[in-house]
Amino acid sequence: MAIARADVARLASEYAAKHPREILRLALENVENIAISFSGADDIVLIDMASRIRTGVQVFSLDTGRLHPETYKFLELVRERYDIRFEAMFPDHAAVEKLVREKGMYSFFVDGHHECCGIRKVMPLRRKLATLDAWITGQRRDQSPGTRLAIEVIEEDKSFGTDEKPLLKFNPLAHWTSAQVWEYIRDYEVPYNELHARGYVSIGCEPCTRAVLPNQHERAGRWWWEEETKKECGLHAGNRTKP
Amino acid sequence: MHITFVKKIKADGSPCRKCAEVEQRLRESGQLERIDTVAIADERDPESSGMLLAAKHGIDVAPFFIVRDDDGAERIYTIFFQFAKEVLNRRLAEQDEAKELLSRDPSLDLL
Repeated sequence: MAIARADVARLASEYAAKHPREILRLALENVENIAISFSGADDIVLIDMASRIRTGVQVFSLDTGRLHPETYKFLELVRERYDIRFEAMFPDHAAVEKLVREKGMYSFFVDGHHECCGIRKVMPLRRKLATLDAWITGQRRDQSPGTRLAIEVIEEDKSFGTDEKPLLKFNPLAHWTSAQVWEYIRDYEVPYNELHARGYVSIGCEPCTRAVLPNQHERAGRWWWEEETKKECGLHAGNRTKP
Repeated sequence: MHITFVKKIKADGSPCRKCAEVEQRLRESGQLERIDTVAIADERDPESSGMLLAAKHGIDVAPFFIVRDDDGAERIYTIFFQFAKEVLNRRLAEQDEAKELLSRDPSLDLL
């Protein structure tokens, strides 16, 4: 890997306001063992930009088994249209079978999405990332002001990397807005998931994704039934003091 | 080595679900006795011992663990499976690790 861990903070600052294309170029020209994580949504712009830099870019998607039919069609369209090395990552069948056997097909409506997402997304993601030196995501700060404000365009991934095997994470769209992403899609006639035309902004698994109303934040389209539990782990000091 | 387990009482007075889960796991594995001190971070009381420890170490999630080595060096663990692996020498089930990663890494929220 040509980018050392010690250089990450400097590069994050240097590239903070650069065009996503430049961040992608930095990533693809300096890290050989790197892949784009593609969700089947508007992060398609990453694949389009990357394909203009070089062919044969490694792309992977997490096939949870619960995606919309439209998303599967879109993944296949992208696989055929772009000169990429596409790979679908599947969940561990034994873990899914155990979850469904014990809690049914819709456990997330009862006890939250983390267990199901952990099995269907995080475990396969972890397995894939263990083979890479770096990954590229479509994460943007404007996607969820509550949880994504802190992401940098380049960072060390401390969730999936270790001291023994560090992992870099490139977020070329971190500083872009949804409007900028869609301007690129229109300008370059990039194909997109047809669910977007039906009001879906953020696209995940079929049971956990819904269309949002005009001016409603995209976070409202995911796990809308668990607003309270997502704040469970925070420490929120009140104004009360000891009498 | 001295281990402090900081667990939370929510603003409405109810116990934090995640903290209870972690405590139950420690109990089931017989490792609760490895915890030397339990500090309560009571969201209704900014001066409760756990809230003061959270403020001192700049931690904004619960539960978390403070591990003080014999030489006085302190390590903070906000991810239970890392604490279990590195301090208790115990590996959690992979799906438990994945679930915790998701709850602790906010950037994975819309994965």
